[in-house]
Amino acid sequence: MIEIKSLKKTYRERTVLDIDKLVIDDGTILAVAGANGSGKSTLLRILACQLKATEGEIASPENSLYMPQQAYAFRGNLIDNITLSGADRETAKQLLEKLELSHLSEKKATSLSGGELQRLSLCRVLSRKAELLLLDEPTSACDVRGAELVVNAIKEYREENGCTVVMSTHAPALALKAADRMIILGNGKIEADGTPADIFNKPETDWAKSFTAGWKTDA
Amino acid sequence: MDSFRQAFDLLFSLDRELLQILGVTMRMSFFSTAISCLIGLPLGALIGTKSFKGKSFLKKLIHTLMGLPPVVAGLFVYTLFTHYGPFGELNLLFTVKIMVIAQVILITPIVTGLSSSFIESTSKPIIETARGLGLNNLKIVGLCLSEGRTSLVSIVLTAFGRSIAEVGAVSIVGGNIQWKTRVMTTAIMLETNKGKFSFALALGIVLLLIAFVVNALASFMVKEAKND
Repeated sequence: MIEIKSLKKTYRERTVLDIDKLVIDDGTILAVAGANGSGKSTLLRILACQLKATEGEIASPENSLYMPQQAYAFRGNLIDNITLSGADRETAKQLLEKLELSHLSEKKATSLSGGELQRLSLCRVLSRKAELLLLDEPTSACDVRGAELVVNAIKEYREENGCTVVMSTHAPALALKAADRMIILGNGKIEADGTPADIFNKPETDWAKSFTAGWKTDA
Repeated sequence: MDSFRQAFDLLFSLDRELLQILGVTMRMSFFSTAISCLIGLPLGALIGTKSFKGKSFLKKLIHTLMGLPPVVAGLFVYTLFTHYGPFGELNLLFTVKIMVIAQVILITPIVTGLSSSFIESTSKPIIETARGLGLNNLKIVGLCLSEGRTSLVSIVLTAFGRSIAEVGAVSIVGGNIQWKTRVMTTAIMLETNKGKFSFALALGIVLLLIAFVVNALASFMVKEAKND
């Protein structure tokens, strides 16, 4: 279980994250949505211990994996990029096949497109076992097919490992298809919390209504 | 053209004094570059990756020292190691060792400044990705070095270039003593003062050739590593 209490992150005078309480049950896939600068990445980076919170308490599994928003291509081919995290070649090949990248396995990772690189980045993360998976906008550069592959791979990983997944997203389809629960952040605060379908179909607050209105045209 | 002919004649004549000067130049440049990199690269990595109080001031100080005039560095080292100075008893003045010390003072800020800028800009996504995968610090450092080897080689070459071309500091602390502390640059200065412009130019061409060979070797090594 992840438990967050009175979490705050401030940069100089500006508060970018202000969460009073958030509890995430084991095995949940939580989608974190919100406008640009609403604190999604900050929350994920704090959970991944990449960033220190200004104040607050966090109880979360130590064994976590984090996929940053900007996917990085290390030198070498796609298999090298996965095995550098300690995975064996066979696992790497299976993951590449799952994410439909096996035909590129011997290519240099630096030659991949944005969407392909994002899928490779997910392969790298999924090659390891963890109790908590933190994914920062895992489909932001993917096309429809790519996003579908990412969603399936995340769900499959959760089924196999029983881990908790927290992912930030701008894509309503990703939240609806993959997540059990969704929170919407607005100016660092939780403005809506529920199942993606409920928030999408029956937004309770004016804030949630105005935010999801844009989504309805996208979804 | 006469200078070019003289330069090749000098090189292929295997003149004893020229070879000795070349030896001192290479020894001084190699050790000062190596020591500066041993100090400057980890320091640059530390400044580039960590946040601490006074970091901004430290960076400004390093950037200022990157432009430290060689004669000032030479004078500073001379004052420290002169007979009446705090380190006078070490008797290092007018030796190759003191020339290396002066060079290290000049080059270390350059290596530190360049490597911290490189690490700050380039290594951030590498570190973020590697930490996200739960890799240990040793593996992360290895990845940063591997990914940034082209830039790192450029930094080392810049340091070597500065060292091999330096004249102000080494002439003050080394004294340009024949068969002892004379290096290519101080020899060029001497020959120019004597009015032997053609010979000085020939020495300059030899110095350029050495720099070219070192650069070509480094480029070859980087290219080979890229093809791995």
